[in-house]
Amino acid sequence: MTTTKTNPGLVLVRYGELAIKGKNRFEFENALRRNIHKAANEIAPCTVTKTRGRMVVRPERRMERVARRLQEVFGIASVSPAYAAERKIESIAAIAAEELARALEAFPNPDPIRFRVSTRRADKRFPMTSQEMNVAVAESLGPAIEERLVIDLKNPELQLGIELREEAAYIFATRLPGPGGLPVGTLGRGICLLSGGIDSPVAAWMMMKRGCRVIYVSFHSAPFIGDSSKRKIEQLVRSLSRFQPKSRLYSVPFTDIQMAIRDHAPESYRTVLYRRQMQKIAARIARREKAGCLITGESLGQVASQTMENLTCIGAATSTPVMQPLIGFDKQETIDLAQKIGTFELSIIPEPDCCTVFMPSRPIIRGKLEECEAAEEGYGLPELIDNALANADRIDID
Amino acid sequence: MSVTENKDGGSVVYLDNAATTPIVAKVRDKMLPWLGADWGNPSSRHSLGVKSRAAIDRARDQVARALAAKPERVIFTSGGTEANNLAVLGAARARKKFGTHLLVGPAEHPAVRDPALALFDEGFQVEVGELGPDGAFDLDAFLSAVRKDTVLVALMLASNEHGAIYPVSKVAAGVRRIAPNAHIHTDAVQALGKLDVDIVELGVDSVSISAHKIHGPKGTGALVLARDLPLRPLVFGGGQEGAIRSGTENVAGIVGFGEAVEMADQTLEGTNAQLSKLKQRLADGLAEIGGMRVLNPGGSNPSLGSIAAVLVSGPPAEVYLHHLEERGVLVSVGSACQAHKNEASPALLALGLSAEEARKVLRFSFSRESTDSEVDRALTVLRELAGELGAL
Repeated sequence: MTTTKTNPGLVLVRYGELAIKGKNRFEFENALRRNIHKAANEIAPCTVTKTRGRMVVRPERRMERVARRLQEVFGIASVSPAYAAERKIESIAAIAAEELARALEAFPNPDPIRFRVSTRRADKRFPMTSQEMNVAVAESLGPAIEERLVIDLKNPELQLGIELREEAAYIFATRLPGPGGLPVGTLGRGICLLSGGIDSPVAAWMMMKRGCRVIYVSFHSAPFIGDSSKRKIEQLVRSLSRFQPKSRLYSVPFTDIQMAIRDHAPESYRTVLYRRQMQKIAARIARREKAGCLITGESLGQVASQTMENLTCIGAATSTPVMQPLIGFDKQETIDLAQKIGTFELSIIPEPDCCTVFMPSRPIIRGKLEECEAAEEGYGLPELIDNALANADRIDID
Repeated sequence: MSVTENKDGGSVVYLDNAATTPIVAKVRDKMLPWLGADWGNPSSRHSLGVKSRAAIDRARDQVARALAAKPERVIFTSGGTEANNLAVLGAARARKKFGTHLLVGPAEHPAVRDPALALFDEGFQVEVGELGPDGAFDLDAFLSAVRKDTVLVALMLASNEHGAIYPVSKVAAGVRRIAPNAHIHTDAVQALGKLDVDIVELGVDSVSISAHKIHGPKGTGALVLARDLPLRPLVFGGGQEGAIRSGTENVAGIVGFGEAVEMADQTLEGTNAQLSKLKQRLADGLAEIGGMRVLNPGGSNPSLGSIAAVLVSGPPAEVYLHHLEERGVLVSVGSACQAHKNEASPALLALGLSAEEARKVLRFSFSRESTDSEVDRALTVLRELAGELGAL
C-alpha cells in the first residue's frame, strides 16, 4: 500500500540448486524465468530480467503480493521486495533510509531494534568493500540509528540488505524463503493418479518440486458416485495449479470396468485389479502426453492395497515407471505437508471416490501377480479400457 | 452509466456511489443464468446442485484472489452489514475466555459500532476510539487504548462519510504486540476497488466487503478471514459456509459479486487516479463558488478519491439535497445508512464540526463510471443554489 508510482519497487529472486547445474544451467534459468513470469503476472503486469545469479521482477504495482506469490515457484531459494538505486553511495544511502523507514513500521513499540547492514558485492569492481559499504550506510542513517536501533551483527532482528551488481544496487529489508526445488518442466512430465484423498495431491506437489510437470488423471464411477466428487477433484487440481503454470486433468469413466471386475474376478482381488486398470489407463495417457512416469500417493503398508506384494502387483500392470514419492512417509507426515501446501482441507471434504464402489469385504493382503493376470482374462477388459479412454474428458485449468 | 432518467425524462447525474452503484452489464450477464435455468441448490448432490456449487467456488476464488486470501476463508454473507456484525459478535464471543475488552475505531459505520455496543449486555467492556482535535487519526492514542485483555479491535479502512483512510496495517502491527488474543477486523466496504485491500499486508484477521458498492448486486457481501480463526455463527442451520453462515446461498448474487470484485481489482489503479481527479475538480469548483468546501478528513492523513464531504452554508444539507435532485443531481447527506436517523454523525462531529454544521454536510461520491462533465453539472447547480440558498 505504500508503493508509489515513481519508484514502484521490484522483487529480487535468488535461486539455489539451479546455480550449480553446469551446462544445463541456461535451460533451467529459462524455465525458471518463464514460470516466474507466469506466476507474477497473475498478480500484476511484470517484467522479468535475468542478471548474474538473480532474477529481477519489476511489477507495475503490488510488489509485496508478487513477492509472496513467488514463494510458491519451485526453483526459488528466496525473494526480497527491493528498491533499486544508482551505484553511488549517496543514492544507496537515500534509498536505504526510505526502506528502513518502511521496515520500522512493523516495529510500532519504542523498544530498541537489533539491526545491521549486510552488503553483498557481486560486482567486485565497485570501489568500496562490503564492509566499508556497511559502515557508510549505517553512518548515513545517523539519527534513525540513535533513536530506534542498536547495531547487532550477530543476531539482528532487522537486516538491511544491499546487493551491488553491475546494473544497479538493490536495497531490501526482508528476505522471504522460497520453496526450493527445481523449476517445473525441467525434469520431464508425469501422470498423477488423483483419488481425492490426502496423499495423491502431496505426491504431485513433491514431483513438481523436483521439476516434473504433472498431468492429472482421475477416475469416476457415475452413476454410483455423483458430480460433486468430480468437482472436488477439479478443486484440488486448481489448488495445485499454483505450483505449475498450467494444469491438465483427465477425468476417466471407470464404472464399466469396475462392474466387469465385480462380475468376473475374485472378490478379494477387486481393489488391486481396479488399481491395475487405472495404471494401464494412466500409462496410455502418459504415452499420449509424452510423459515419462506415473505418480501415485502410495505409502508402504498404509492400507491393504499398499502391502509390498500388492504394490508389486499394481506396479507390474504397465512397463511405465511408477514414482511413489510418499512411500516412506507416515500418515502424519503427509498430513503436515498437505496442510502446508493447502490441499488438506479440500482432501478431507467427505466425497466417495471410485475405489469405494463394490469394495471387497475382505481384500487380499498378499496378492499374486499370476492371479491378477488370470483374473483379467476373458471378459474384454482391453476393450473396456479403450472405451474409457475414448470417453475421458480433458479439462485444462489455467 | 451513472446518468439515468428522472421522472420528467431528463438525464440525472448520480453522485451517490458510496450509497450504492449501478450493476454493470458484464456483472448482470454473469448473474442471469443463475436466475434462470441454473436454479439448483448448491447443497444438492445432483448435477443441478453441483453446478451451482461450482459457480460459488469460482466466485470464492475471485474474491480470495482480489484480497490475497485463501478461498476457503471467504464467508459469503447477505452484505457488508452482516459481515461486520459477524466479525464483531462472532469474534468477540469466541474469545471471551481471553478477555472482555473491545476497542472500535472513532468513526466506524454503525454496522460495526452498534454490534460492539450491544455486547455490553453480554459483559463486554466497549471502548470507542477518539480522533485528535483536527479530526486526524492519532495512532499512538488509539494504541494506548489497547489492553492485554483486548479481544477485538475494529478499525475501518476508509470512512463512508468523508473518505478518510485509516492506518490499519500500523494499528494491526501495534495491537499484535500488546494484545496477543485480539481479533483485528477492518471494514473495507468503501475501500474495496479504490485501495489495494491485501489481507496479508493489512495484517488483520478479517475484512468485510460488499458487492453493491462496486457495481455488483445488493444482498451479497463477505467476511474474509486471514486464516482459520474462531468465530461464533450468528445464523444457524444447514451448515453452509463452513457452518459459520447457514442458509441456502444467494447463487446469482454471489456469482455477480465474484465478477464485480474481479473487475474492481483489475481497474484498481486507473480508478484511484480517476476518482481523485474528480474530487479535486469538485473542490476547485467549490473554491471558486465560495461558501462551500470539501472537508479535509483530518490533517495530512490520506483520503479516498471516491468520497467528498461538502460543508454548505445556509440551510441544512437536506434542503440542498432536494434542490439538487430537482435539478437532476443525486447526492446524499451524511451517510445514507444514517440519513433516517435524526442525530448528528459522530464521524462528522469528530472533525470538529458543531452539531449544526454536521447537518450541513452533503456527500458527493464517485465511481469509476463517473465523469468530469457530471462533476461540472453538479457544480453548475451548486453555483445556482449558492445564490438562492446560501444567504438563507
